[in-house]
Amino acid sequence: MKKRVIAILLSALTAVSIVGCAGAGAAAPAADAGSAEAVEEEAEAAPAEEEAAPDSIGSSVEGELSITIWDEGQREGLQKIVDKWSEESGIKATIQVVDWNNYWTLLEAGATGGELPDVFWMHSNVAQKYMENDMLLDLTDRIASSDKIDMSNYYEGIVNLYQSDGKQYAVPKDIDTIALWYNKTIFDEMGVPYPDDTWTWEDFAENAKKLTNDEHWGYAIAPGNNQEGYYNTIYSMGGYVISDDKKTSGMDDPNSIKAVKLFTDMIAEGSCPDLATVSETAPNELLSAGKVAMSINGSWMLAGYRDNEYTAENCDVAVLPYTSSPDDRVSIYNGLGWAASANGKNTDAAWSLIEYLGSKEAQIEQAELGVTMSAYKGTSDSWVNSVSCFDLNGHMKMLDAKLVFRPYSRDTTVWEDMMIEKLQDAWTGDKPVEDVCKDIAEEMNAALAEE
Amino acid sequence: MKKTVYYAIIYFILVIVSIIMLVPFLWMFLTAFKTVAETMQVDPFVIVPKVWQTQNFGNVIKAMDFVRLYANTLGMIALRVFFALFTSTLSGYAFARLNFRGKNLMFSLVLLQMMIPVQIFIIPQYVMVSKLHLTNTIWGLVFPGIVSAFGTFLLRQAYMQLPRDLEDAARVDGCNIPQTLFFIMAPLTRSAIIALGIFTAIFAYKDLMWPMIVCPDNRATTLASALAKMNGQYQQKYPELMMAALISCVPMIVIYILFQKQFIEGIATSGGKL
Amino acid sequence: MKKKASSRQISEFIWGWIFILPTMAGLIILNIYPMIDTIKQSFFKAGDFGKGNEFVGLKNYEKVLLDGEIWQALWNTAKYAIVEVPVSIVIALLLANLLNKRLKGRDTFRTIFFLPMVVAPAAVAMVWKWLYNSNFGLINNVFNIKVNWISDPKIAIYSIAVIGIWSVLGYNMVLFLAGLQEVPRDYYEAASLDGANGLQQLLHITIPLISPTIFFVLVTRIIAAMQVFDLIYMLIDLNNPAWKKTESLVYLFYKYSFEQSKKGYGATVVVLLLAVILILTVIQLIGQKKWVHYE
Repeated sequence: MKKRVIAILLSALTAVSIVGCAGAGAAAPAADAGSAEAVEEEAEAAPAEEEAAPDSIGSSVEGELSITIWDEGQREGLQKIVDKWSEESGIKATIQVVDWNNYWTLLEAGATGGELPDVFWMHSNVAQKYMENDMLLDLTDRIASSDKIDMSNYYEGIVNLYQSDGKQYAVPKDIDTIALWYNKTIFDEMGVPYPDDTWTWEDFAENAKKLTNDEHWGYAIAPGNNQEGYYNTIYSMGGYVISDDKKTSGMDDPNSIKAVKLFTDMIAEGSCPDLATVSETAPNELLSAGKVAMSINGSWMLAGYRDNEYTAENCDVAVLPYTSSPDDRVSIYNGLGWAASANGKNTDAAWSLIEYLGSKEAQIEQAELGVTMSAYKGTSDSWVNSVSCFDLNGHMKMLDAKLVFRPYSRDTTVWEDMMIEKLQDAWTGDKPVEDVCKDIAEEMNAALAEE
Repeated sequence: MKKTVYYAIIYFILVIVSIIMLVPFLWMFLTAFKTVAETMQVDPFVIVPKVWQTQNFGNVIKAMDFVRLYANTLGMIALRVFFALFTSTLSGYAFARLNFRGKNLMFSLVLLQMMIPVQIFIIPQYVMVSKLHLTNTIWGLVFPGIVSAFGTFLLRQAYMQLPRDLEDAARVDGCNIPQTLFFIMAPLTRSAIIALGIFTAIFAYKDLMWPMIVCPDNRATTLASALAKMNGQYQQKYPELMMAALISCVPMIVIYILFQKQFIEGIATSGGKL
Repeated sequence: MKKKASSRQISEFIWGWIFILPTMAGLIILNIYPMIDTIKQSFFKAGDFGKGNEFVGLKNYEKVLLDGEIWQALWNTAKYAIVEVPVSIVIALLLANLLNKRLKGRDTFRTIFFLPMVVAPAAVAMVWKWLYNSNFGLINNVFNIKVNWISDPKIAIYSIAVIGIWSVLGYNMVLFLAGLQEVPRDYYEAASLDGANGLQQLLHITIPLISPTIFFVLVTRIIAAMQVFDLIYMLIDLNNPAWKKTESLVYLFYKYSFEQSKKGYGATVVVLLLAVILILTVIQLIGQKKWVHYE
């Protein structure tokens, strides 16, 4: 008898504990919303405060926009800009960060389930796929009637990237350039003058040799350093990676082969570390540790180098070398775009935010805060002053070089991954560069035919 | 004499294995107090930081809201553990000790679940969670852990290890099936339940992809996902990453030490029973 | 006789289903349904975002059978599992056995062996990457050797397996300790009186008595090892010469499904993996009758 009573009590207890848990769970997000308001107080966005619904934070709350990006380093600065928009519009918007890999999984899942973030970043790797499937809000008409946005103000490659069938699906956010980072201390020690705008790629290879000793190498490059490496020399030397119609590969072009060979020769000579070394420690890490004298990097590396006390103290940045005349100094560039979900709950607000983020005012502020260089031409000047430890003119002046948009097609990663993998044999010297490049071109043509 | 040698050997083995297990931690700890340049210094090879960079600690604390991350993580763990223990006790016992039509088919589904890589669930489960409007909530975090195939299998094994006569005796006493489970059998699987609790907690804690995707908001996410964001593409500040990793281990170590006590009590009780 | 079930049978049937209902409902919605969907996908050339799938019959399977990369990945996965599973089980069994004795400092040792379990996966990868680094790593510098632990195609997969062993030792050990709690102490006392030494006790008493636990560890570890992904993903990138020799099946699946939007082909890789794991598990389930003793 007694046992039966206990059994009943026990099941009652279980039931209560389940209900109790539900209660606790419901309370937890409420607490979240509470502190969200606390954050907001700083931003003085008083009217929006009431709208923070207690049942859920983040996506799809009525009257609140969700913004998703992948770079934690840019969150703070961008949130400041977004907060200004919130002040004007009275609509709250919070930036959420998901790391690069999971970002694309999240978007994929969101697109499959019809629940994309309201506003988010687009990238050249996948833009075509999202545009073709009408996942992104068509901005064409809104841009046409906007007095803030005029596509001719932005760098052309980025504008084109986010176009499909004559429609515009994203507003350019930023632009990156490639430049030559170098370690002043090693240059001084080896008695080599700092790189400047007179260097040719030949000088570069020559000096790398002079900068090599038992302690450090002259330069480092991994097969994966395409935009931050051989893509620049390929276009500088007159080769190409992909044809304009995106149907054929240019990797078997003699000039492309020559451009890759520049680096593989350096590896063979020993002025560049071998494949095993760069595969375990990336070239930018080697620079940060004083193990290489030079590294070719994109402007997105700035935050990393700035926050690292060694690089901040010892390193600086110069323009990339050219091949035969300063006219063929090339920077492979890329730029993100601000896009909105096609079936978001509040597309008008999303557009208003994107319009603001693309406006001259916000683009200037983005550069001023040192977030990135901006996609709006002529607004990046203040970016040079955003840090004091480097002379960022190295990156800025590359905007005046021959800007080539990063090679892409519909499924860029398919052939890019293949290329990196195959280039390993050229890096180790197991196969001649010509053979490797021809092999790459063949497979790339096959992949492009399948797109 | 013989006994001393015997124990000396045992301790020798234990100490050697301990050292191997601890080296990565020691390295993590030392790196957490180094400068970035020191992490890559070869000649002289730096093992102990020259100057202990204690500000790394402050930087990390400033960069990550650990209180909230701990709270989210522990909340998720508590709920997942509760649900996993409850549902797995029921199903583990049923699969081990009850005979009913369809049992084998259902149990093969349980095994099947464990064979599928979790990556294939991510997108369908995310779609469900977002339809339920649970993204960026604790229930979104808990969602895939409401039931546990692993727990079902583990507790089934535990119940199969128990002697049949206990159950028979209970039946003779007039216990029905739920009473037998809750009063006679479940308490005997105590150490397995604690093991399952610890594992559920740890797997939940280590889960990375799911919290990252379902709770991208920094206010709603877990330690593991915040750590991975910090480890994002363009960061090279290893000392601070190591520091963050160290700080995030602490609550799990505490949980383990707390429940290890329970283990030992488990020894005391089970010793008398059989 | 079979006409009428006894009331006991009826009540086992009813309670059995009630007990498994929450678990089964959850599993079917959360896991089984997505799995069936994946199997279905393997017969399609997937369109974007789950739309516009194009039925291709067995084409994906034909391609998988002829794809050298996939067989290499299967072989890599197998190599990992063959090293990680037995080594971690044997060491954990020995440790659990030692720690089941009344030793001074037992709790401390247990905690130490368990520690790796509580480190976030990103941190495990980071710290080992440093230990293994051929230029700046602790191992090469302390022993003054020059081994490319994770970039030499011949040894990289084993270096990764070592990390795997380090990480799961605590898991195996805790389970074995839990299993050992059910072994009555007087068995050992009786054996000692008969003059059995430690090894004999381990082989003839401990192992048979905790064989259900060993079986559980074996089955779950093999399944988990066949799904190895995180470690490899975080340690080896496209630049690494050991890439081809360390790529696992789940890695390939991830690459096709998430990075290259070839969902149909990715699904086919999962079905292959599932078939392999299924076969391994069925063999173990049949084989257990020979060595696993239930009460």
